[in-house]
Amino acid sequence: MIRHPVAWCAWATAALAAAFIDRNPFLQALLLLIVINVFIPYRAGRRIRTWKIVVALALVPIIFSVALSRFGTHVLFTLPGIPIIGGRWTLDAALFGASTGAALLLTVAVFAVVQTTVRSADLLAVLPRPFYRAGTTVALALAFAPKTVSSLQSIREARQIRGQRAGWRSAPQLLLPLLLTTLERALQYGESLDARGFGSRSRSRYRPVPWTVPDVLVIVGSLAALAAIVLVPAQPYNPYLNILPSAPATNGILALLLLAIPAITVSLSRLDHAAHHA
Amino acid sequence: MPLITLDGVGYRYPEAERPALVDVSAAVEPGQVILLRGPSGSGKSTLLRCLNGLVPHSTGGEFGGRVIACGLDTRTHAPRELGARIGFVFQHPDAQFVLDDVEAELAFGMENLGLPGPLMRKRVEEVIDQVGINHLRRRRIDTLSGGERQRVAIAAALAVHPQALVLDEPTSQLDPQAAEDVLQVVMRLVAELGMTTVIAEHRVERIAPFVDRIWTLDAGVLKDQDPRAALAEGGARPPVVDLALRAGWTPIPLGLRDARAYAQRLPKPPPYPPPQAGEGISGKSICRVEGLEYRYNGVPAVRGLSLSLRRGQITALMGRNGSGKTTLLKLIAGLLRPQRGTVYADARAAYVPQDADALLFSATVDDELRGQPPEAAAPFQRWLHRYPRDLSSGERQQLAIAVVAAQADILLLDEPTRGLDPLVKKALSDFLRIRAAAGAAIVIATHDVEWAARTADRILLMAEGEIYADGPPGAVLSDSLVFATQISKLVGGGWLLPEQVPL
Repeated sequence: MIRHPVAWCAWATAALAAAFIDRNPFLQALLLLIVINVFIPYRAGRRIRTWKIVVALALVPIIFSVALSRFGTHVLFTLPGIPIIGGRWTLDAALFGASTGAALLLTVAVFAVVQTTVRSADLLAVLPRPFYRAGTTVALALAFAPKTVSSLQSIREARQIRGQRAGWRSAPQLLLPLLLTTLERALQYGESLDARGFGSRSRSRYRPVPWTVPDVLVIVGSLAALAAIVLVPAQPYNPYLNILPSAPATNGILALLLLAIPAITVSLSRLDHAAHHA
Repeated sequence: MPLITLDGVGYRYPEAERPALVDVSAAVEPGQVILLRGPSGSGKSTLLRCLNGLVPHSTGGEFGGRVIACGLDTRTHAPRELGARIGFVFQHPDAQFVLDDVEAELAFGMENLGLPGPLMRKRVEEVIDQVGINHLRRRRIDTLSGGERQRVAIAAALAVHPQALVLDEPTSQLDPQAAEDVLQVVMRLVAELGMTTVIAEHRVERIAPFVDRIWTLDAGVLKDQDPRAALAEGGARPPVVDLALRAGWTPIPLGLRDARAYAQRLPKPPPYPPPQAGEGISGKSICRVEGLEYRYNGVPAVRGLSLSLRRGQITALMGRNGSGKTTLLKLIAGLLRPQRGTVYADARAAYVPQDADALLFSATVDDELRGQPPEAAAPFQRWLHRYPRDLSSGERQQLAIAVVAAQADILLLDEPTRGLDPLVKKALSDFLRIRAAAGAAIVIATHDVEWAARTADRILLMAEGEIYADGPPGAVLSDSLVFATQISKLVGGGWLLPEQVPL
């Protein structure tokens, strides 16, 4: 298992670079597979409850692109002269949107992996002292995200109990209560931090995470992948020029495969355990 | 020399009309246990926050007088400097943790003090044993229940070896079993470590036998008294004290053990519960439930349950956590669809959830009550322009009931007395009686035995999704080990409340 936050940061940097830079559909599909495979052994039984929102997020660029772009030669259908959305709707535009949507989806997936694997305490412990206070702020902000989702659920339930609409159209009415609960919680966090002596003098560290060989492997692999992705970028996919994507270069594929190291080390250690038990 | 001294402390929140604290002077000697009580909104949290400087450092406002805590003047020393000396446990179990898992959280305060690693390790092991949370040490905070979180919070506060522990209603958001677990931890710290403790707590009967002083706050004015004198005077107090005052027992017993000796002088209780038939049970049937079943992901929560409710009847639904009480209420309210069986209701049913706060989000009380009939809004005339979430917990509870249940004839309340002080509980009782007299059927899921014995005319006991006892309080609660009132534990028989015991 990879535990060191520095290793995960290196991995996330390379994976994000790949998500932003590699716009080849084959590479994007491969990266998605790798990220999922890394997520599964580290999720520790937790489920991603917000996947519907993430998928919806990925669909937004497709809709925008196909509805607003008038370029492209592969016409799906033509709308009569309605302002803005009237005219030719093209497959090219839809594919262009899908490519952007996939990049978004990958970005969110990489963050989901980091959120599951990195304990905020470990991350704080490796931060250089000058960054410590800023780091804690970030840790708190990260802790807020899931709590905000759960308070959103309780607010929706409350509205249902009061016999008010609970559909998406009621979203604006949910916003104010959400803001209020989040603010109240933030104030309480502040008091708690204060009462527990946060920032009173220089800090010490409880149980720093030790370095292991797999950690180093992940860092080396991720840096190599990063270098390959940035220095020899894959040929970008532009459906307006050619609707069929080009085959990815070998080095692009190899670079992505390096990002699978966190998953591979888990599998290897399991094989090792199995051999011991046999 | 006192550990904490309050000297003429006065405080007013920014833009508040009335001061929250008025000329408060008191002292805490080392090793003392102090119970802070007072109606909700009387300034208990404010006073406790003065002890570690959160008031006025994090709240602003006008502060007068001085607080010397562990040798530091809170006017010149920030809360973070007092953090090493005063351990503070907040009311809400979920808002005081910074990191994601238990061990990291236990070490957080010590890391802030810059303690060396081996010492931190030793102390983490020690507080884990002292508080009894070894089974939780590897868990993530977000998977813990409220009671487990409060125990972790106490352990985290204890790890820095504070000179005093301050707890602000640590059990008010918990169910009774979890509350009992948390209070047991506190009592053990007091007994084994002689920990100086200041605690605001509504479960007075649980801790009264252990306290050295009782501080009673009313509208910001503090009375610092001997426990017996304070309890004799009024406020939240254990039922045995009520009985002792009626019977003229002196010195007043503070707990069951002290009271046993006096109880032998009482007349023998009737062997069978006194008949209570006809009390509010004659009303017309308003709701019938037949063969109800509900499962969450295949796990049964309600199993083949049948029940009928009558107008004018107040029913208390009791049982341990996870016995299906909330599910049953939600099924009757129509918020859940039964997977088998039917709910026949002749009137609108309204459900008020445990966390009434979640229901109130408007800018003013007036906005919350918009669209309600004038008689529902009448009790709130004084507060119409206030911000609902600034009301005290009891006031919020009443407002939530008014908002949700004004026009309903079937009222379903989930743990409505959690965190309420006795006065507000009594007001809630009276309010429910009025609604019942007007023809409503009321079902209350509650763990609060004393309040149920006083308020309900029918008790249902529930376990494993089934109802296993049904009858008037005198019959159901009198021969119970778990759901027995303090008086019933003392004298047995059908007497549940101090005023029922003939003298």
